[in-house]
Amino acid sequence: MAGSKTKYVGDRRFLLAVFTSEADILAATTDARERGLTIADVYTPYAVHGLDKAMALRPSRLPWVCFALGLAGAGFKVWFEFWTSASDWPINVGGKPWNSLPAFVPVTFEVMVLFAALSTVAAFLLGRRLLPGRRAKLASPGVTDNEFALVIEETDASFCKDEVSARFREMGATSVEERVEQESI
Amino acid sequence: MTRQCQQLNLPDRTHTLFKWLAVVGGASFVLGLLFAPERAWSSFLLVNVGLLGMGLGALLFIAFQYVCGAHWAVAIRRVPEAMCGILPWAAAGILFTLVAGKSLYPWTTEHAVGMKGIILDYSFVVARAVIFLGLWLWLARAIVNRSRLQDRTANAALSASNKRLSAVFLVVFGLTFWMACFDWVMSLEPEWYSTMYGVYHFSGAFLGALAAMTILAVWLQHAGPLRDVLTHEHLHDLGKMLFGFSTFWMYIWFSEYMLIWYANFPEETGHFLRRQAGAWGPVFIANMCVTWLIPFFVLLPRPVKRSPGMLVKVSCLILVGRWLDLYLLIYPSTVGSESVTFGIWELGMAVGAPGLFMLIFVRRFRSAAPIPISDPMLEASLHHHQ
Repeated sequence: MAGSKTKYVGDRRFLLAVFTSEADILAATTDARERGLTIADVYTPYAVHGLDKAMALRPSRLPWVCFALGLAGAGFKVWFEFWTSASDWPINVGGKPWNSLPAFVPVTFEVMVLFAALSTVAAFLLGRRLLPGRRAKLASPGVTDNEFALVIEETDASFCKDEVSARFREMGATSVEERVEQESI
Repeated sequence: MTRQCQQLNLPDRTHTLFKWLAVVGGASFVLGLLFAPERAWSSFLLVNVGLLGMGLGALLFIAFQYVCGAHWAVAIRRVPEAMCGILPWAAAGILFTLVAGKSLYPWTTEHAVGMKGIILDYSFVVARAVIFLGLWLWLARAIVNRSRLQDRTANAALSASNKRLSAVFLVVFGLTFWMACFDWVMSLEPEWYSTMYGVYHFSGAFLGALAAMTILAVWLQHAGPLRDVLTHEHLHDLGKMLFGFSTFWMYIWFSEYMLIWYANFPEETGHFLRRQAGAWGPVFIANMCVTWLIPFFVLLPRPVKRSPGMLVKVSCLILVGRWLDLYLLIYPSTVGSESVTFGIWELGMAVGAPGLFMLIFVRRFRSAAPIPISDPMLEASLHHHQ
């Protein structure tokens, strides 16, 4: 399909298992990881303690954004205050020196917090592509209510759907179904 | 539920070391009284204010935990409880300073006038000290005793009773501690005043107690009693508190400094001029670096807050900062701000205080089960995770 923007690559197959308790989803996730299955994602109605460990997620890189932008914000603000009150338009306040560092500290602190906080939120939204207009894709309607969904990607040719499904049902899954997503570039 | 827990077995060598340190401290004080009484009393006051802060900070920690209904620190609560053992000793030291070392305070010879004269009336100051110390000692005793009684009776009502007592202590502490700091330390410069002084002392005392608690908890984990009890999760929380209160200390420090710097009133700036300009300048800067700047950047990453080795190092640095802070608050007022006075008397008492503290801590810790075995929240605390 020369000239076209999208190219058909192939299907991605997922297995979606729905659980009704926190303990079950933790056990099933740990079990899936230990058996070498590819965990695409886990959907829960609230943050489940220990799920990051069960999924073997990497530590978040957001703190680095927070640290770097916090430092940048603080640095920028010190420079800006120096520039406004000592360089571009020197102002005599109570006979203090123009470049009075103690007077700059509170605002520098506030701007550091502002930069660090906003940039962390922005980096999270951009990193997850959570931009305005994005439509929610729910693995299962229940995950906003009382259900916990574990999504396994069938990456391996030796993946045995029936065996894995049976295993999940054994571990308390109320439903296990397969989803196919058409992959395009 | 019963748990097998190992009691602390202190090697004789360590015990002898603590004893010798305490003896060195005591000898420095006695000999100092003969050769340099002003320095000896200043150092004695410094040490006792520091030790009192350790005990009160530990009691505050216990009280916060009870009032919030927090479970995470229940398993290590015997550490701050044993730290409270220093309180009677430090209280005695403070009273002794007020009685025998009153020459430190200029207002005992040159009476202040007006309202300040009423507040700084000698018998009134001593009476206040007795009331404050009495209240703190009584509440510390009541809270620690109830916690220990629970070991034997497994009575959950004791937790509720301690929750009420903790709330009482927090209110009493809030109303009395600032006055105590005004009386015992700020009045060394009777012409100077700062309304931030009490909260400044609180931030330092609580930070120091957290640092000491972290070191002691890690030590007790190695020594046996807290093995399989203290986990990375508990350390992580202690690390977060160290980080937070180190920053809180700096925040309060700056809040006091900036207002005085901005207003620039002659009667207020003297206190800081004596410390930041001239000979004391480097100590002034070192205090900030050691208590906040270095701990702040070191404690930022998550793995550091979960590493016992790193936490102990940072805590030791903070404890050095605590000494520097009190040194800066007391010495320029009493011994003089022209030059930095540091020598054998200061060093002797600075190493003697930890020696005495450890002797009392070990005795108190060994007199009860190493963990509160019957606390209803113990199980939750042992399985605490972030």
